[in-house]
Amino acid sequence: MQVTLKVFRYNPEVDKRFRYETYTIEAEETDRILDLLEYVKGYKDGTLSFRRSCAHGVCGSDAMRINGRNMLACKTLVRDVGDRITVEPLLGLKVAKDLIVDMEPFFDNYKKVLPYFINESPLPENGRERLQSPEQRARFDETTKCILCAACTTSCPSFWASDQYYGPAALVTAHRFIFDSRDEAASERMHIIAETDGLARCHTAYNCTLACPREIPITKAIGELKLATITGKVE
Amino acid sequence: MASKSRSLPLTKRGLNFEMMMWLFTRLSALAMYGLILVAIAGALIMGARTQMNMADVLRWGFMPNPNHVQSTDIPALEPWATPFWAVTASLLLIVAVAHGVHGLVVIADDYIVSANGRKIVRLLSIIMMISMTLIGLYILWRDILFPAG
Repeated sequence: MQVTLKVFRYNPEVDKRFRYETYTIEAEETDRILDLLEYVKGYKDGTLSFRRSCAHGVCGSDAMRINGRNMLACKTLVRDVGDRITVEPLLGLKVAKDLIVDMEPFFDNYKKVLPYFINESPLPENGRERLQSPEQRARFDETTKCILCAACTTSCPSFWASDQYYGPAALVTAHRFIFDSRDEAASERMHIIAETDGLARCHTAYNCTLACPREIPITKAIGELKLATITGKVE
Repeated sequence: MASKSRSLPLTKRGLNFEMMMWLFTRLSALAMYGLILVAIAGALIMGARTQMNMADVLRWGFMPNPNHVQSTDIPALEPWATPFWAVTASLLLIVAVAHGVHGLVVIADDYIVSANGRKIVRLLSIIMMISMTLIGLYILWRDILFPAG
């Protein structure tokens, strides 16, 4: 089948403003959007820039807007979006070149929630790992699946308005550690996410939940954080 | 296995002004539903089915004050000008204004990111909230506290 691929192009060293370029490509309906971009870069225009790494939906490098929705180019097939495809960079982050955005504001927000395991207590007597029950592990299982692709945060209207808002990805990470029975910094994180640009900026638009390629129930997780702030229960 | 209590005391759960207002917004929305239902029940008792149109019912529902339904066919509105309805209307007014103004502050916070800008918007919003509430309370209680003549 023939696919019309319209791609957002912007080179800050040459272009005064962005433009779109359209490519007509022969493709299978089981081809991925990433395959189309690779084809354009390999055979039509080597200057096309986009991020990719594992190409299997694990690294989160190739999140982009495909026909207006945030998706991973490596997980989206031609048959999922039809034969007229528009590919654009993520919204809310400055475009560095073509489909590449500056992820620094995203990672700055991510770092705010202390995205690492904190436990200052001595190790168990046998010197081995800190155990938890399957139920305790299940409590935060969903939020361990985040791959930091930024599809959620850049689909959020609150983040579009201000990149000071921590965004869904940072809050998902906070959830992952706050509800981990082995972690000891729940209180510290709760104070951080209760700041003006934290939890209160979530207006439950649900865009993040729809955008997440890992199908994490993000809005639900943020709701659990809000409830934990009121009840104090983090188990 | 980690089994200690995972319940954070009040001071350690980040329950700051921001989150208190988040909770207030949810609870005040529920309170408004309750107060409006009380007012609509009152409207039915005073004859909404035959003596009021939809606009009058809504006006009474959102501000149960006889002054607001003077154009109805209800022959005597005076019996409804009681402290009970003044209190009901006052509660509705206070809750609705605080709820609405906080909503505006939340929206403004989305777009104003400087600390000083936020302080100014919050100050102006608080002044607006207090002024609107006082004007509303004056109208609601004027006839009861200062009867004409």
